[in-house]
Amino acid sequence: MKAAIKRVGTRLSDKTIQFFFDGRVYQAQVGDTAASALLAQGVNALGRSIKYRRLRGLLAVGPEEPNALLTVGLSPMVIPNVSAPQLQLREGLVLKSQNRWPSLRWDVASLLQLGGGFFGAGFYYKTFMWPSWRTYEPLIRRLAGLGEAPGASDATAVSVEYLRCDVLVAGGGAAGLTAALVAAQSGARVLLVEREPVIGGELEFESAVIDGQPAATWVATTQKTLESLGVRTLTDTTLVGGSEGVYIAHREPGGLAGHNGVFRIRSGGLVIAMGAIERPIAFVDNDIPGVMLLGAAERLSRRYGALTGRRPVIFANHQRAYAAAARLVKAGVAVQAVIDTRPATVLEQDATTVRHYASLKASGVLCLSQSVVVAAKGRRAVTGVVIKHLVSGQAKRLPCDLLLTSGGWSPAMHAGLQGGGVRHYAADSGAFTAAQQPTGRVTVGASSGCFELASLLTEAARIAAALVSDLGFKLDSPRPPMGLGDPAPQLMPYWRSPCTQALEKRQFIDFQNDVTVADLRASLAEGFIDIEHVKRYTTLGVGTDQGRTSNVLAAAILAEFKGESIESVGLSRPRPPYHPMTMRAMAGWRVGAALRISKRTPLHDWHVAHGGVLDPMGLWMRPRFYLSNGVDAATAAVAEARRVRTTGGMVDGSTLGKIEVVGAEAGLFLDSMYLTKASTIKVGRSKYMVNLREDGMVLDDGIVLRLAPDRFIATTSSGHAEHMLSHFEHYRDVDWAGRAVTLTDVTDAWSVIAVAGPCSRSVIQKVLGSDWHARVAALTHMDFARGEFAGAPLTVLRASFSGELAYELHIGPSAALALWEALSAQGLEPYGIDALDILRVEKGYLVSSELNGETTPDDLNMGSLVQLGNPCVGRALLNRPAFSESTRARLVGVRALDGRSSFLAGAQLTDPSSTRPLGYITSSVFSPTLNEWIGLALVARAQAIEEATLVARDPLRGQETLIRVTATVHVDPSGERIKS
Amino acid sequence: MSLASPHYSAWALLRARLAGSGYWKPLWTGRALKNHYDVVIVGAGGHGLATAYHLARDHGIQRIAVLEKRLVGYGNVGRNTTIVRSNYLLPENHYFYEDALRRWGTLSRDLNYNVMYSPRGVVDLAVSDDEVPALARRGNALRLAGIDAELLDVAALERRYPEIAPRRARRFPLAAALVQARGGTVRHDAVAWGYARAASALGVDIIEDCEVTGVRVQAEVAQGVETNRGYVRAERILFATAGHTGMIGTLLGVPLPIETHLLQAMVSEPIKPFLHTVMVSVFPGHGETYISQSDRGGLVMGGHLDGFPSYTREGTWDRMQDVVEGAVDLFPQLGGVKIVRQWAGTNDMTMDGSPIIDRLRYNNVFLNAGWCYGGFKTIPASGAACATLVATGTAPDLIKGYALSRFASGHLLDEPGRGPFPVRL
Amino acid sequence: MTVLSCPFCGVRELSEFEFHKTLPNAGDDPLSATYFRINRVDDSQEYWQHVRGCRAWLQVRRNPSTGQVLEMILLGTRT
Repeated sequence: MKAAIKRVGTRLSDKTIQFFFDGRVYQAQVGDTAASALLAQGVNALGRSIKYRRLRGLLAVGPEEPNALLTVGLSPMVIPNVSAPQLQLREGLVLKSQNRWPSLRWDVASLLQLGGGFFGAGFYYKTFMWPSWRTYEPLIRRLAGLGEAPGASDATAVSVEYLRCDVLVAGGGAAGLTAALVAAQSGARVLLVEREPVIGGELEFESAVIDGQPAATWVATTQKTLESLGVRTLTDTTLVGGSEGVYIAHREPGGLAGHNGVFRIRSGGLVIAMGAIERPIAFVDNDIPGVMLLGAAERLSRRYGALTGRRPVIFANHQRAYAAAARLVKAGVAVQAVIDTRPATVLEQDATTVRHYASLKASGVLCLSQSVVVAAKGRRAVTGVVIKHLVSGQAKRLPCDLLLTSGGWSPAMHAGLQGGGVRHYAADSGAFTAAQQPTGRVTVGASSGCFELASLLTEAARIAAALVSDLGFKLDSPRPPMGLGDPAPQLMPYWRSPCTQALEKRQFIDFQNDVTVADLRASLAEGFIDIEHVKRYTTLGVGTDQGRTSNVLAAAILAEFKGESIESVGLSRPRPPYHPMTMRAMAGWRVGAALRISKRTPLHDWHVAHGGVLDPMGLWMRPRFYLSNGVDAATAAVAEARRVRTTGGMVDGSTLGKIEVVGAEAGLFLDSMYLTKASTIKVGRSKYMVNLREDGMVLDDGIVLRLAPDRFIATTSSGHAEHMLSHFEHYRDVDWAGRAVTLTDVTDAWSVIAVAGPCSRSVIQKVLGSDWHARVAALTHMDFARGEFAGAPLTVLRASFSGELAYELHIGPSAALALWEALSAQGLEPYGIDALDILRVEKGYLVSSELNGETTPDDLNMGSLVQLGNPCVGRALLNRPAFSESTRARLVGVRALDGRSSFLAGAQLTDPSSTRPLGYITSSVFSPTLNEWIGLALVARAQAIEEATLVARDPLRGQETLIRVTATVHVDPSGERIKS
Repeated sequence: MSLASPHYSAWALLRARLAGSGYWKPLWTGRALKNHYDVVIVGAGGHGLATAYHLARDHGIQRIAVLEKRLVGYGNVGRNTTIVRSNYLLPENHYFYEDALRRWGTLSRDLNYNVMYSPRGVVDLAVSDDEVPALARRGNALRLAGIDAELLDVAALERRYPEIAPRRARRFPLAAALVQARGGTVRHDAVAWGYARAASALGVDIIEDCEVTGVRVQAEVAQGVETNRGYVRAERILFATAGHTGMIGTLLGVPLPIETHLLQAMVSEPIKPFLHTVMVSVFPGHGETYISQSDRGGLVMGGHLDGFPSYTREGTWDRMQDVVEGAVDLFPQLGGVKIVRQWAGTNDMTMDGSPIIDRLRYNNVFLNAGWCYGGFKTIPASGAACATLVATGTAPDLIKGYALSRFASGHLLDEPGRGPFPVRL
Repeated sequence: MTVLSCPFCGVRELSEFEFHKTLPNAGDDPLSATYFRINRVDDSQEYWQHVRGCRAWLQVRRNPSTGQVLEMILLGTRT
């Protein structure tokens, strides 16, 4: 490693750091990007293209860079495809080139490029069919992709900040700053986001004077003014999405995930001032390392003092080339030639350019008009160019070590095309701009196709003033900044140099996906003519660079081939995000445990402390079983269920949904929501009720309690709680609008402890004390009593989901733990959801798998409830013929024919002689009471006959069990225990 | 010189290399619109083109036109996440989707166009033990129907797909998976182009930029269609317009059990392939994510509908975020990989989530629609069956269940038990 | 579409709202009301709820081709 001479640049400090690239140590100065440091040390090959694996250098300095993508970090903790010109170096950073094996210099798969014409667009569709694609796919996948797939990531959640402003200005160049200034002066709250670490945009290198100050001074002054006006500026931040007043910006300092942040911005107006993307010109071998965009070279030179070559040739179609050449000469670069596609007369129209031209000539720079570069020469680096006079056809070769091209600029206006934006093509500047913006959104500066400083400043100020005025802000005679910069480009669109058709496959357009002029021609020849077809067929513009340097060029060449205007060819539709964004940034803080909230009952910590094994149920965490009762779910749950039937137990039922329904018409309202009537429930009584969905399927079940003539609490199953509330509210607001019914979600206002088993009454009486003794004793099935416990409201409801004598204790959450612990102190053991399921199946009570949205009341043996004739939601559609056919399933009980074998929920039921399903097992448990496997099943009515023999076929789990159909109630069919 | 697209093969590629330009021909020829056809098909998406192909190939119908408002394959056939599978619960669906899956296996050779059927497996992940019975019910139904399905517990999942690290602590821990090994992906655009080429070779006129604006009817018999290029007489008319089916209902004055919703998809930058299967996961109270890695290396992802009727084809940022959150939850190591592009298609969501292939109002007008999320994967089966319906007037057994009358009769095909609310998860 | 304007709460992000269904046609029988829709590309009558906000049910007339809200009615206040 040789010590590099200290470079000088606007972004560099003197401090040196070291980094690694492909296993070698390199030096950099703080402020350097990977691209600038490597280029400055003579490394000009930075990557290989995705298809032909051609060696590539740096094309652009910005996110539009198609080829110089690096992998950062050590396997497996790598970040792939990081743009080298945006990656700010840090001490010790480890970088690797991509898509090559064994090395960047020598890559085996690059032999593919020898097959040039063979592997052109659409090649895959025409072969690899015999015997099947699968034969070839593994090999092709080995060649696929760019950077290494990360095997691990240590990144933490990305912060998401919510911001509000009146005007969001995206882009802090001359136009953006002007717009921000005008908006802020009107009193609007302005937020400015700028992709680069510093504001200024092109003013960083353009020779400009604004308001009598050098550009850099004006930028600094403006920044201070903006600060004093309260404008917040976010640097390293890019607008990536959003429309209609909600925008997403992504902050990625140093061009690398890790310290990034996301902003969700609510703004009245949006000013798109995101500049323009310089585009290349197509000529033969325009992708050799050392062929670079002119603007990229200017940035490298100015910011980092880093130019790979000392003897560049410039090839362009606009005035700006001369200003740039003059600056490079001033910076000590031996510019060899300026090749201009335009006639000299255009050049002479502008005095500044004439001056540049003269001084360039004086410095010995060859200046040719009406000339083009037809080919770059060199293998691993550019060594020369072949130039040709467009009129005389004379060709000659010039040596050079750098070729700087510029075919003009494509305004960056992705954001201007969402939500109703329309694109318009300006033939004079060869630029598509966003026209017809919806209210509140404007484009300014180069984003709007304005490329000359003086008019750009005036226009930006005018447009911003109009915008803030639309937003209701008053502006006292805004004074736009007056400036003079590089001359207007006076660009004459020029897209590709002449070449024979055979060489078109080396005129590259999309540098990442290796789409060439030949591919465009082939695409047209095969009938893929529309730009959207061309994009899909050739993969044009679908890379990480989102087609930024290629899309307009491709449109122009297609226009040439089709004999149409560029406008009618158009561009393919841009898609969000406007800039690639890491998945973790997109996810923000919703990663890991925070993916979604976890809902916990007031007893959660107790469960955890007492060996409860918690499982998610929707967003809730509920105890499935307790380790104290067995090592696994099956043993523990059986033990817990057995205990409930022999002595008793308690379960945390707090997740049950509860809706308080109040009002003079509350009873009538509930009548319309349930299959049976609520209005007939007596105060102090409750009733098991069922809801139907609009199409007649059973939606949910629960107990409805009548607290007062005008006050009910409807309980819902845990999983349906949120939906049921919305469902009720919908009908309240639509069909019952203006009537006396209010709905309140009281799910979290009541914790529920369900106590079941022979001992339940006596335990509850002991715990609640003498006040409650008689009241509890007096409760018959479905009665409830209300009072207090430990200062919290308590409802004791005698209701059972286990078939045992049982009570639900609805308690204010503050006292839930106290009540639970008091019950526990009386020797009551907890049981989990699995045991609850056992108890329910033993009694034939529905669990969630029977309420699956596919069953009618009749299917669930509730036909008699329908017969009662209560007109409720969903009832009208129950008369459809399919619902009474013999193939329609009905709920039955099932047990193994041999009384021993097991079967599992999800097994399909068939006749013993057939494999055609007649139904399936919805729930299955091992019953500790009966000491055998029992279940519930939905079986075709024709077979839903007690004692019918069926087979439970479970090929997935290798089980086949002869079963018999039984009644749904397996235990205590007469219901003695519940009444005890 | 023949206008027809030459036979494709490795030899042809070599010959083309030697022949220089002019060897390859347009895949489908831009023939002129005639004024009279036996069958006019509206919509040059997968279903329309496949039906045209089968009408010509299997039923010998000569005069067929496919009229397309915009471009061949511009709709959902080119906007989906390319997944093919037949692991549906209901017999009406799984036999039909299985017919398609079998056809995918030979389609490249049948069409002489490589559609890149990649049977890399589709893995439906369960995030709680509660979900296992439903997975088992579906898997067992499939096995009894002769369709492959496997149920993997966490240990088996870990052996088979270590890349998903099933034992990793997650907000919703993985509990099991239902795997269909023959499921996988197909290169979506190639399906449209391959059918268009094959149909064109059989004499079908494929007319792009031709919008149908009305149907001319006389004495309860459809006579033909009005288009922006004039009136076209047709003996039979098939509408296969996917997301724009609702409009066809408006055109004919027939309400349809359909709402049009947006479904989006997104793709990451290309990285070296590490995910060689399709992973699907539904997160309670959150959404859904399905993810696979294309042969270019990009991670292709999708999820649930945007959630409201829309024809804009501009997906919401929030839904993209939901899908990506799910992907990062499944593969935290991908946190640093970038999303480069998102897009959206308009889906014709039926009120029971299953398709409709039936007559529509008139005896000689047919509808192929209501594909919800599943249209792409059925294209070969849909084309063959729909062609039989249009050609013979009788629906083959495979699609009898897809009649419009099922909503009135109650023979609904509601796979998820969601009811008439397409948006609900 | 990224925002909706709730008559109670003002302009709020779409994620606070949930679309329920498109409105049936006036006079539809229960079967049609439940299943059948006229899908106009430029005019859609819909039920929405500001479910993660004030929970109001809203009747929203929108242009589904542009997302533009044409009319917004707060439900439940009829007398």
